[in-house]
Amino acid sequence: MLGLCGRRLLAVAATRGLPAASVRWESSSSRAVIAPSTLAGKRPSEPTLRWQEDPEPEDENLYEKNPDSHGYDKDPAVDVWNMRVVFFFGFSIVLVLGSTFVAYLPDYRMQEWARREAERLVKYREAHGLPLMESNCFDPSKIQLPEDED
Amino acid sequence: MLKYIIPTMMLMPLTWLSKNSMIWINTTLHSLLISLTSLLLLNQFGDNSLNFSLTFFSDSLSTPLLILTMWLLPLMIMASQHHLSKENLARKKLFISMLILLQLFLIMTFTATELIFFYIMFEATLVPTLIIITRWGNQTERLNAGLYFLFYTLAGSLPLLVALIYIQNTMGSLNFLILQYWVQPMPNSWSNTFMWLACMMAFMVKMPLYGLHLWLPKAHVEAPIAGSMVLAAILLKLGGYGMMRITLLLNPITDFMAYPFIMLSLWGMIMTSSICLRQTDLKSLIAYSSVSHMALVIVAILIQTPWSYMGATALMIAHGLTSSMLFCLANSNYERVHSRTMILARGLQTLLPLMAAWWLLASLTNLALPPSINLIGELFVVMSTFSWSNITIILMGLNMVITALYSLYMLITTQRGKHTHHINNILPSFTRENALMSLHMLPLLLLSLNPKIILGPLY
Repeated sequence: MLGLCGRRLLAVAATRGLPAASVRWESSSSRAVIAPSTLAGKRPSEPTLRWQEDPEPEDENLYEKNPDSHGYDKDPAVDVWNMRVVFFFGFSIVLVLGSTFVAYLPDYRMQEWARREAERLVKYREAHGLPLMESNCFDPSKIQLPEDED
Repeated sequence: MLKYIIPTMMLMPLTWLSKNSMIWINTTLHSLLISLTSLLLLNQFGDNSLNFSLTFFSDSLSTPLLILTMWLLPLMIMASQHHLSKENLARKKLFISMLILLQLFLIMTFTATELIFFYIMFEATLVPTLIIITRWGNQTERLNAGLYFLFYTLAGSLPLLVALIYIQNTMGSLNFLILQYWVQPMPNSWSNTFMWLACMMAFMVKMPLYGLHLWLPKAHVEAPIAGSMVLAAILLKLGGYGMMRITLLLNPITDFMAYPFIMLSLWGMIMTSSICLRQTDLKSLIAYSSVSHMALVIVAILIQTPWSYMGATALMIAHGLTSSMLFCLANSNYERVHSRTMILARGLQTLLPLMAAWWLLASLTNLALPPSINLIGELFVVMSTFSWSNITIILMGLNMVITALYSLYMLITTQRGKHTHHINNILPSFTRENALMSLHMLPLLLLSLNPKIILGPLY
């Protein structure tokens, strides 16, 4: 039991970077031996192999210098302004005002007018007994054909 | 129209004369404001287009494409900020200038009345794109990619120049607004067959049609993120837009001339979708997915019914936003892992859950989930091709299944499962990346509430 606690304390201390022990002691209840780490205070060695999962050396991690980076620029001030410009002009102005404009377009391609005009003409023609539609687009009596040439 | 062209031109001095720390902020800010003004084009009439002058006009077909173009520039600038951070200042400014130049040419292409002006701008868009791909791409294959891209498009479009000059000589004018009323039915003859081919091949290569699509995977994969975004979202749609304009002059021989291309597109969309299932390279998968979606658009444009035109326009806008978003997501992976292999960086949902949400949304719109505009476009195309010929429903249905399969395959491979041990140390998602994804997704979702603006001139 105490050995388990000892191991957990060791793990906790190790993650927090504190030296796990300053003297060497052996646990009486378990076979655990707690000793100061020989690596304490030494810098971790450079990796000798390059793994594929390591980031490319040319790649710039924008989050390293600026953890609040928005992805636009290295300079945090320019980055924030760019983000603000994109969101304000892109969303607030173009998308919002633009979709309002499109939603309130007056009678796009005169569809509503066409319906009203058709109903008006139908009403007129039914009231006057005229046919609703004629197959002639233009009045045939007004078309002047050239004379037949033989 | 000058209210878009002059601010876009002035973005150039803005980049070159801004302070070093402010170039990205200034360009993003001002390109966002230009995209706001582009919404003014939505005051469309029912029976006519907005005719700004003798040189520029904008109707319900070019308006959504223009809005998409102007919306994409700030997104491209935001997406490129990271990979250009190491370059020296002049190169950064040059890159942004190329993007602005491309934007300028695209605006003028979509609004040109005179078809020769359209052609010149259509070809001019190749130059900044080529510079972006070959100068700022990441692998040595980018030179080959640039070559394929340039020469495929040039070879396809040179006959178009000849055809346009011929039309100018016979009809007297190439002003599109006049042509639509002066057009005569094209009688069937060998020379008119070649005339039809000359007019259409440029746009077929651009779309791309299945047999002529080899430039696309190369160009999309080798381009930097801004290049991929603009290629997938806009430059492909140049082909669709051109086809929809030029078919006005080519009736009635389109009725039988279109058959080989419809067959190629119907077959090609299944082939390219199936190729997607076998891709290891993430960007290559998204590139082939673009070919598949554009094949649907080609079929829709060639059968020339009102519903198919509506579906084609909706699909072009929807695919533009979705594909651009998928490339941005792939780029966020690439910037962390420096590889485009899908299985190399998998199980990302546990490491980057918010980015996983964007991946989910992008994959769902890619597979045309209702009620997104992708579905509206695909549904209209499927319905109109069914009424054109009943058998196409089998191919269309098969394509939708395979599209769902590869979209989910891409999602599951990159996001689900146990993450590989070597990506333990990838950086969390930046605000920039999340903002970029939401700026793609929100217009897509908002459009599903109001799709009438993307349904084109036959709505």
